Amino acid sequence: MIRAEGLTKMYGRHTGVRELTFEVAPGEVFGFLGPNGAGKTTTIRLMLDLIRPTAGRLEVFGLDVRAESVAIRRRLGYVPGDLRLYDRLTARELLQFLAHLRGVRDLRDAEELAGRLGLELDRPIHALSKGNRQKAGLVQAFMHRPELLVLDEPTAGLDPLVQQVFYDLIREAAAEGRVVFLSSHVLSEVQHVANRVGVIREGSLVLVDEIEALRERAATRVEATFAEPPPPGAFADVQGVTEVERRGPTVVFSLRGPADPLVKALARYRVLALDSHEADLEDIFVGLYRGEDAA
Amino acid sequence: MLRSVFAKTLRDSERGILWWSLGLAGLAAMMVAVYPSVRDNPGLDQLLESYPEALKGIIGFGGELDYSSGAGYLGIELFSFMVPLLLIVAGVAAGAGAVAGEEERGTLDLLLSTPVSRRRLVLEKLGALVVEVVVLGAVLWVALVIGSNASDLGVSAANLGATTASAVLLALGFGTIALWVGAATGRRGRAIAVAAAAAVATYFVNSLASLSRVLDALQPTSPFYHYSAGDPLRHGLGATHAAFLVALVLGAAVLAVVAVERRDFRT
Repeated sequence: MIRAEGLTKMYGRHTGVRELTFEVAPGEVFGFLGPNGAGKTTTIRLMLDLIRPTAGRLEVFGLDVRAESVAIRRRLGYVPGDLRLYDRLTARELLQFLAHLRGVRDLRDAEELAGRLGLELDRPIHALSKGNRQKAGLVQAFMHRPELLVLDEPTAGLDPLVQQVFYDLIREAAAEGRVVFLSSHVLSEVQHVANRVGVIREGSLVLVDEIEALRERAATRVEATFAEPPPPGAFADVQGVTEVERRGPTVVFSLRGPADPLVKALARYRVLALDSHEADLEDIFVGLYRGEDAA
Repeated sequence: MLRSVFAKTLRDSERGILWWSLGLAGLAAMMVAVYPSVRDNPGLDQLLESYPEALKGIIGFGGELDYSSGAGYLGIELFSFMVPLLLIVAGVAAGAGAVAGEEERGTLDLLLSTPVSRRRLVLEKLGALVVEVVVLGAVLWVALVIGSNASDLGVSAANLGATTASAVLLALGFGTIALWVGAATGRRGRAIAVAAAAAVATYFVNSLASLSRVLDALQPTSPFYHYSAGDPLRHGLGATHAAFLVALVLGAAVLAVVAVERRDFRT
């Protein structure tokens, strides 16, 4: 569906993105993560042919983004990262205009989407709040049921309830076999809908993997509070366990793999309290953003 | 009204077109209304004759300088300066905003996520620019035809049309230059600056040609020369002069398409 090979974009000497190679398969929801300024928007604008690659190849639907941009754009929906709309139009007029350009005559889908998101169609866009403009941006991206949705930080300004509707839209699109390329700077925005994620930092892809695989790789945090602090090094040999931190009688472990060895080791001491947290993907990502290796 | 980039662009400038039309029609009506009192004042023609050549070049419009004929009067009072100035300002403003306005406001990303090619974007914007300036020219022409009959100017509707058409082509030339620079740089300010500088420079080349041999040699390159040299108020539109202005528009349009095809748009 999307295939990048050695994709590079330089701005003079400054690197936009460097040698990106990745693929997004049909039916996938791909989360594209990275801190602000890492190259997410650059990658997306290369797909839209708004900017041209310095080197490498980029194909969407098997078509070259440069040579066959119009054919590609006929089949995709896009929410720009810095969404600007025609302020003097009403939301309905904006949707009519974009629908015409896309050859869509029937606005019933758009009206239904607007209803679900709670967008007022007949107010001029300059009178809409940031969140409502973002809704208009979402409606225009989804209204023609494109095969590919390219969404650059699409939840900016949306309140939590509307975000839930947005996630429903993504799930419905995925269920219909459409592809979603979803960029964000926080994992929590994509982890519930994405099958796979790519992480970009300073213009380079540092990781591409399935969400499930990441979850399995991620460590569980276990906090045990003891009646008396165990001696240092008491858990050094326990399989899959690293001691992370000690606060008086409380020891924090990082656990990977089955819990049994840790439970057996803990049982040798008097444990007053035991607490464990779900694998925290966010920690991995913060590490990746800083340039540390994936855990 | 929102069926295409062309239609939407025109709709966006509806209000502007209305105000410009009122201004141009008002100007034409006022000038024509004053004509009978000017015609009956022979002292004005004597005054004209005493003007230095340079000044005659500036206020002149193609043919003979006189206040006693309708054609001479309209040339001096409207077509030597005010009409081309106003139409060029309108054309340059529309041309500069055509692509660069969308880019500066940030709406270009959304617009070009639809299946509209860059070339089509430029051509539809150019189409809207042409329609806008032609509408202004048509309004001016109608006002002049009505006024000419009322004040007995003695200039035919055909020659008024030819002269207005010549001014429209002149304004479209500079408007398309502005469109090109805007499409090539994404900056409206730069587009206006370049087009305005080109207009001022070529205006002086044409009107001061009698002062220096260099300027005289350059005169045929000035769009203002081709706008006025055929004396369209008396002789209609000259084919070669009109062709020069049309070629200017087409040349700038080709440059705009070429420039827009090869660049990165800014966010």
